[in-house]
Amino acid sequence: MRTHADSLEDAAVRFDRVSLSYGPEADVLADVSLHLKAGSMTFLTGPSGAGKSSLLKLAYLALRPSAGRISLFGIDTGKLNRQTLARLRGRVGVVFQEFRLLEHLTAYENVALPLRVAGGKEKDYRDDVVELLRWVGLGDRLNARPETLSGGEKQRVAIARAVVVKPDLIIADEPTGNVDDEMGERLMRLFRELNKRLKTTVLIATHDLNIVRNTAKADMLRLADGMVVKTQLGPASAQAGAPAGSPAEPSPAAPAATAADETPV
Amino acid sequence: MTGTPLLPREDAREAALFFVVVALCFLASLSGLVARSAYAAASTWTNEVTGQITVRVHGDDLDARRAVEVIEAVDGIAEVHALTREESSDLLKPWLGASGVPDDLPLPQMIAATAKPGVVQLGPQLEEKLKAAGLEAQVDDHVAWSSDVKRATDSAGLAALIAVALLAATAIAVIAFATHATLLARRDMVELLHLTGAKDSFIAGLFEQRFLMLGVQAGVVGALLALGAAAFILFVVKQADQRIWLLPQLSLSLADGLILGLAPLVAGLAAMLAAKATVHRSLGDMI
Repeated sequence: MRTHADSLEDAAVRFDRVSLSYGPEADVLADVSLHLKAGSMTFLTGPSGAGKSSLLKLAYLALRPSAGRISLFGIDTGKLNRQTLARLRGRVGVVFQEFRLLEHLTAYENVALPLRVAGGKEKDYRDDVVELLRWVGLGDRLNARPETLSGGEKQRVAIARAVVVKPDLIIADEPTGNVDDEMGERLMRLFRELNKRLKTTVLIATHDLNIVRNTAKADMLRLADGMVVKTQLGPASAQAGAPAGSPAEPSPAAPAATAADETPV
Repeated sequence: MTGTPLLPREDAREAALFFVVVALCFLASLSGLVARSAYAAASTWTNEVTGQITVRVHGDDLDARRAVEVIEAVDGIAEVHALTREESSDLLKPWLGASGVPDDLPLPQMIAATAKPGVVQLGPQLEEKLKAAGLEAQVDDHVAWSSDVKRATDSAGLAALIAVALLAATAIAVIAFATHATLLARRDMVELLHLTGAKDSFIAGLFEQRFLMLGVQAGVVGALLALGAAAFILFVVKQADQRIWLLPQLSLSLADGLILGLAPLVAGLAAMLAAKATVHRSLGDMI
């Protein structure tokens, strides 16, 4: 029989009745509960404005919930002091939708940032950083500053920065939104490899159904109307990614799912 | 390859801040030098008159000779002699000019006495002995004057210390304000550092390092400017040539070097601590 403590321990991310509102306005997320098992790979989909980015921000501890409880790796994040919170954040690699690269640092320095923050010595991590940048196709742009990089290149730098510390949890917000299909697949392979080999828990918010379709053994969550439901690609979307949104899915790019495919998480 | 500072330079804002801290360090260093100089001058003046006793006798040369005998007999007196008219005239030269005292101007009978080392407060005793000998005389052992000088220099020193404290407080307030402004301007970067696992102490360290360097550099420049100003004042005083006898004893000493050397250290330390306190207080309100 699984106890509550067991359940907490093997949950990399756990939301218990979490709500979020910005000021006095209506809740962006209302009473959301979810449970991402350690070592799992999960896609989060949903229409634009559904609160996917807000949910991710809560998960990577950039926001505090208005109500409810969030646990990472079994640790209740609501009761942590700032030092412990920093340690916990160090276990999470984040790919931000807007990249958030430091403009005065080179591509190499941006990728090395988490290692520098963790107190690593450059001679110990230099080769790894260079290798990772080569892997994402930026071996010749090590000393380029973000202002000289294209959107896709920035995104690859941001992804390399998120994975360079081999985090326990990777949270990515539209990580393939600015790269071509080939590079998108290459980056997804990186996430899949980390998930498979290092048992890294991966949570990816995306509108791109192809990357969902190409990833076996991944869970898919759909966020709409403040609710998170477990879902699968419906038959309509399986046809060349044609939009097949429900009335609650105004975005044509949103992944399609039928009501029959969905089960509350 | 990771040589770039994580906290980017903000040239315009930092140049203005640097200028302000330089000005504050210059004023603080100069205040310190002035206070040190005032103490040194007071010390010189009081040392020169310590043990010196001047007696003015109302009477003729005979009364003056009798007064000398009375004073010689007092225990603790090392030396005594009556001033000649020429010696008295020399003392009045600063007021009357090189032409000296007109021959027909009557001068009081003056006696200069020196107490043995360590003997003080002989004035009342001498007055009593002279009075007992039937002589009308005024004794000045310069104690009152020395006390006045000491009081004046203590006040000047206190004023200088208050000035230094106010300047230091101003520098700390300016640094705190600048740190807060930088923190707000770099909020995104600070948030990113937090999200990559940086502790508050790591982020505060970036600001501490930046403002420590700014404080030390501004302190060095301010101290050098103060040294230049002190050298200029010395030059002007030297130009006064024979007329400097009323001016304080001015020179650059080891103590001045210490004051100037302390300025960058104090400025750097104050800047660093101000930045540290401000960052830690502000980070408490961030994610």
